[in-house]
Amino acid sequence: MSAADTKRLGAPRPIRVRAGARGFPAAVGGVAVEAVREDWVVEDRWWTGRPVRRRYFELVLADGRDVTVFCELSRKRWFAQRA
Amino acid sequence: MIVCVLIPRFALLAALGDRRALLSEPVALAPEAGREQFVGEVSAPAEAFGIVAGMRVGEALSRCPELRLEPPDPEGVRGLWHEVLDRVEGIGAAPESERAGAAFFDADGLQGLHGGDLDGVLAATRRTLGRGSRLGAAACRFAAHCAARESRPRRPPVVVAEADTARFLAPLPAGLLRTRPELAALPDVLERLGIRTLGEMAALPSRAVAERFGHPGLLALDLSRGRDTPLAPRRPPEPVSERIDLPEATSGQQLERALELLIARVLARRERRGRSLRALAVSARFVAGGTWRCAVTLRHASADPRRIGLALGPKLAELPAPAESLGLEVEAFGPPATDQGRLLDDGGAERRVRLGEAVRQARQAAGPGAAMRVLDVDPDSRLPERRSVLAPFPTDPLG
Repeated sequence: MSAADTKRLGAPRPIRVRAGARGFPAAVGGVAVEAVREDWVVEDRWWTGRPVRRRYFELVLADGRDVTVFCELSRKRWFAQRA
Repeated sequence: MIVCVLIPRFALLAALGDRRALLSEPVALAPEAGREQFVGEVSAPAEAFGIVAGMRVGEALSRCPELRLEPPDPEGVRGLWHEVLDRVEGIGAAPESERAGAAFFDADGLQGLHGGDLDGVLAATRRTLGRGSRLGAAACRFAAHCAARESRPRRPPVVVAEADTARFLAPLPAGLLRTRPELAALPDVLERLGIRTLGEMAALPSRAVAERFGHPGLLALDLSRGRDTPLAPRRPPEPVSERIDLPEATSGQQLERALELLIARVLARRERRGRSLRALAVSARFVAGGTWRCAVTLRHASADPRRIGLALGPKLAELPAPAESLGLEVEAFGPPATDQGRLLDDGGAERRVRLGEAVRQARQAAGPGAAMRVLDVDPDSRLPERRSVLAPFPTDPLG
């Protein structure tokens, strides 16, 4: 067994998000967003050369799922994550 | 004949990496974090200011205010030097090396492989190491070392015939005895007594030297007369090491978790083949540059992660600066870890043994990823992916 067998839990997964007004997600993976339950910003590792700036959204989708996604503010890319 | 391979300023070269152009400026290795404030190896322009390795940092900076202090990289030095020794072994040699930058091997058994004479062996060594190394050959280790110091990188190696050894050594400074760590303090005393060359040392009567200096004196006498102890070639290494990045883990608990994870990974390595661990080295790479390394020999060879953790844990407190990664390397294996019975009845131990066996069987059936456990690395991190990892489930509860 090698280091490759050790796996991080909760790693972000790229996901397709259509952003609507004020940058809020309007659809995730082709499914419309029913409600935005909460949104928050995480800024971390600002003291390093690779700072982390994310805007998280906890969403309820039209099919009933509750998902958490975030937008990487530096590159405007979207990820889903078990937060 | 003994061949010496000498690469001057090896630790400084390793620390500079691909910035070797800096060697044309006054540069010195900074003291290792948490150690005494002495500079390490220095560049030639720094030497021109009278700065030498082992000088106090304050004195070095007062001699040359422009002196650039480079953080040392003991991990890099070790890795790079192992590569050099691997190359030397690649020509069939069995090298001995106590410190990075100097290696010795016996050329007698290699001549048949490289043209039948010593020149062929030296040429093969030069080919495999490149032109930056200095080579010397003589009848014993010390004389070969002196010969290599006399040689120049782009010139032919200095070869001293056995019959000429004493004549070659005689005019050389007695300070060369410092190359042997156990004789580091002797040349200063010899100088105060007016003994400046190896020839003057060699001319002293053995009995008087033994009476005045004891064993170190007799060793110095042997060396200056061209006699040395036999080589002790290194044992082929079995590199088993693991490293983990610590993006935020700077506090005690997070470091302990990382160490726990590293121990689990090392114990899960196939190369261990059921053996216990005798000696390990914890290493760290600092956020601000430079590395740190601490070797630990276990009192009893063990494969019990808890016991290994107890031995290594206190070393984490010696970390002098925030680390960006932590590593663990096995330096020596012990005998195979056996499943010995317990003196006292311990139901918990039996259950752990059964659990370990179940885990092994599950791995056998479904692959190495079949039995894992969740390890909290940094449970309070604001980034979810940094909170927990899946680590190999330990299968050797008894060690």
